[in-house]
Amino acid sequence: MDQPSPEPEALDGAILVAFANGDAEAARALAERLLPRTLSQAQRMLGDRAEAEDVAQDAMMRLWRIAGEWRQGEAQVSTWLYRVTANLCTDRLRRRKRSVPLDAVDEPRDGAPSVLAQMHRDARAMALSDALAQLPPRQAEAVALRHLEGLSNPEIAVAMEIGVEAVESLTARGKRGLAAILAGRRSELGIEDDD
Amino acid sequence: MTIEPDKREIDRLDALLDEVAGQKAAPSADLMARVLADAARVQLPVAARPLAQGSSGVFSPLWAALGGWAGAGGLAAVAAAGVWLGIAPPAALESVTYIFFGNSVTLQVFSADDVLGVGI
Repeated sequence: MDQPSPEPEALDGAILVAFANGDAEAARALAERLLPRTLSQAQRMLGDRAEAEDVAQDAMMRLWRIAGEWRQGEAQVSTWLYRVTANLCTDRLRRRKRSVPLDAVDEPRDGAPSVLAQMHRDARAMALSDALAQLPPRQAEAVALRHLEGLSNPEIAVAMEIGVEAVESLTARGKRGLAAILAGRRSELGIEDDD
Repeated sequence: MTIEPDKREIDRLDALLDEVAGQKAAPSADLMARVLADAARVQLPVAARPLAQGSSGVFSPLWAALGGWAGAGGLAAVAAAGVWLGIAPPAALESVTYIFFGNSVTLQVFSADDVLGVGI
């Protein structure tokens, strides 16, 4: 008879404990499960590949270091990692506090539409990241977890160790702030007025 | 004074958030190697760490009672020292036996009297 598969969350915790107990294969198993998602989260918040890689590596290093103290069942590895990654990203955004002019982006040499489209996507992602950098860090973190990572308000509340109402307030204020910041950069983002 | 964004601006923001939320990044081989190298640096050999919570086994309580690897190491050291003393008692121990027993020590396992009459 087949054994029921453990929940992904429980599996992450079990692998982390195995890592703490010296299992040589556990690090690779955990990195393959968690690194892509961690890197993607950092990339979405920072809009910069090199910075996102640094943050992902740093977040995973913190996971390795906490492994020996991890208590299975008390917390979810993924929630913990979301929070650590979001914190590391907001730290970087706070230091950034600058707005990259979009016309500083090089034009593609071959002018291929797909390359051009990708550059516009990258520029929009960076514009969003720069706008997040101008928000208060808690608002930026809540907006990113809700609207970029797709976490529910109760999940964000657990990750940020605040109440659900506080999450709703942070995301609402954060979205209003982002919209106002981005409104001033509409033409740079290639967004035409509907009028 | 805070200017409230209108609905169109919120809709544009939602579209941008949706677009960025759909972007995924795959780790390069180099990044994966760096992360695994970090893990290897942090991860101590099995023999050097206590068992983390979640581990179990029949011998775990006994192992814990012995003090884990540190306790076992101590036991092994004491056992090795005992074996060595049996082979080559150091000079300090020889002095102690001289003080207590003199130059010649005779240990008689059986009585000198042939109480059982077996003719030893």
